Amino acid sequence: MIDVLLTLASGPTPGPMAQATLFHYLIVSALMFGIGLIGFLTRRNLIIMFLCTELMFQAAGLSLIAFSRFHLNHTGETFVIFVLTIAAAEAALALALVVLLFRRQETLDAGVWSQLRG
Amino acid sequence: MESMLTLLWPEIALFITTCVVMILGQSKFKDTRDLCPGLAAIGLIVSGFLAWYFRGVTSDAVLPHLPYYGKLVICGVGLMLLMLVAGSADRELEADAAKGKPFEPIRSTRGEFYSFVLFSLTGLMLCTSANDLILLFLALELTSLPTYVMVSISTNRNRSMEAGVKYFFLGALGAAIFLYGFAMIYGGTGTTNFEDISRTVAAQAAGGGINPLVILGVVLSLVGLGFKIASVPMHFYTPDVYQGSSSSVAGFLAFVPKAAGFFAILSICGLVGWSHGVTEQSLPEGPRVLLWVVAALTMTLGNVLAIMQRSVKRILAYSSIAHSGYMLVGVIAGPGPSGADFERNGIAAVLFYLVSYGVMTIGAFAVLACLEKKRSDGSLDEVDDIDDLRGLARTRPVLGWTMVLSSMGLLGLPPLLGFLGKLPLFTAGIGAKEIILVLVLGINSAIAAYYYLRLAYTCFIESPETTPNAPKVVEAPFAARRWAGVISMLCVVGLAVFGSWLGNLAEIGATYRPPKYVQPAAAVVPVSAPTP
Repeated sequence: MIDVLLTLASGPTPGPMAQATLFHYLIVSALMFGIGLIGFLTRRNLIIMFLCTELMFQAAGLSLIAFSRFHLNHTGETFVIFVLTIAAAEAALALALVVLLFRRQETLDAGVWSQLRG
Repeated sequence: MESMLTLLWPEIALFITTCVVMILGQSKFKDTRDLCPGLAAIGLIVSGFLAWYFRGVTSDAVLPHLPYYGKLVICGVGLMLLMLVAGSADRELEADAAKGKPFEPIRSTRGEFYSFVLFSLTGLMLCTSANDLILLFLALELTSLPTYVMVSISTNRNRSMEAGVKYFFLGALGAAIFLYGFAMIYGGTGTTNFEDISRTVAAQAAGGGINPLVILGVVLSLVGLGFKIASVPMHFYTPDVYQGSSSSVAGFLAFVPKAAGFFAILSICGLVGWSHGVTEQSLPEGPRVLLWVVAALTMTLGNVLAIMQRSVKRILAYSSIAHSGYMLVGVIAGPGPSGADFERNGIAAVLFYLVSYGVMTIGAFAVLACLEKKRSDGSLDEVDDIDDLRGLARTRPVLGWTMVLSSMGLLGLPPLLGFLGKLPLFTAGIGAKEIILVLVLGINSAIAAYYYLRLAYTCFIESPETTPNAPKVVEAPFAARRWAGVISMLCVVGLAVFGSWLGNLAEIGATYRPPKYVQPAAAVVPVSAPTP
């Protein structure tokens, strides 16, 4: 493992990276999206859950940029700027909500908030 | 570009009003603060007038007249929603101020509340005029971000906070999923403009099949948008959120995000078109199967779970889920053969049903919002249990009859508005040869009769509760909410009789312009991937 890393680090252009195609970017993006989705569904800490949705947003952003390069136009990159703006707005809202919740019940566990059922 | 700006005049007017309302709500003079709802109403009327005035301007998306119809009905239903939410903000603060305490702008939520209502409606209008994936994404987020805050601040109780946080987290999940879908649509076509996308898809379909990335993108977008309309994989938040927020905000949630979701779903389905499926008038197979399964599951689950509820807000929430399922039948049916009349046009049916559902459900929520429970210790709480409505038609005839007519309308009883809305869904479904789905729709309408009739029966026939210890039901001091209920009641009866103009308007709004075919070689995406 270390040998591979050393070879990669010392070579002028790392072999595997030289052939990075759209496919590789999409795989990384899909993995990020999947990790985010699984994290959202399994974790119960509000902050972690929010980070998972952010991860999913950024996965979409990554594939937008990759597609933008692939199609040789700037639409996807423009889209990403807007996505980042929305993600920032959502982050502000999420943190405000989490602070409010924390003030009422001193925990970040989502399981505490289960008054509504039926 | 200029025509796009002309198209956006209603939104611009509404946005300016929003900013003014936000500032006025912080004023330390009560008279100025009280201007907020009136000013918001004026803004809505002005933007409705602008939408009517610029009715000749069409968007270059696949549904060119959707902005005209959408904005007119958003202004109409928006006015009713404004009457419904009037007074929800700052009730305790105003009571303190009336006793002589100084007004604290930092505690006030009035300015934010009304401007968030208007922000959300602005986003909803933008959803109709969006002609680009970026604009559609921003419009959808502008519709939902304010509603998360509205839910959280609607009451002072813990349950509102819980509802707000549930709504926010699932909303962010839904947004991430449809954003990923939009990215895939962009990847498969190389553009985000609706007209270019539909043209590219038509070329791909003519030249050997639609790019699988586009189909994947449409499917993911539909799943993500399912959160907005509360359809099956993303429905489970609905009852909790409706129960946790105040009745008037729940009424707002029943119409606005659902309308945004359906406008977006119609646009997204229009991108791949109702012409590349198995027959000439159906969606491509992937989205069609997904919508079919989701529609059938949504209505069945919504109706079956509604039967078991005692809380009126939960019943209405499950009924909202079920109604989304009904409307999806119209989306699957599509516009039919070109020049089809109202009975065969599924899009017109969806657009008409959306308005009639909004009007009817606002009536039901207005009744709940007009009533309050007074406990023996003097504390006030919202009416929620179905027993609180017993004998309402006898004790408070106006509210009682509003509830009876709304629930009968939602059930789809023949002379009322709900029937007029549901009939085109049936005929469009049969016209598109989706016989099994129409059968499911029919069976579900029968199941729904149980809980709607129970609501009407409780109000109309049962005697008012007389046990001494039970909390007393009193009327809430908001005149505007009663008027929202009365207007809804009049619409449920009146639109059923004089509703043909709305049907004609929906037919105009549903005008479908199939993408023009171009030379396949010009626009097909290259298959081999160049190295970035």
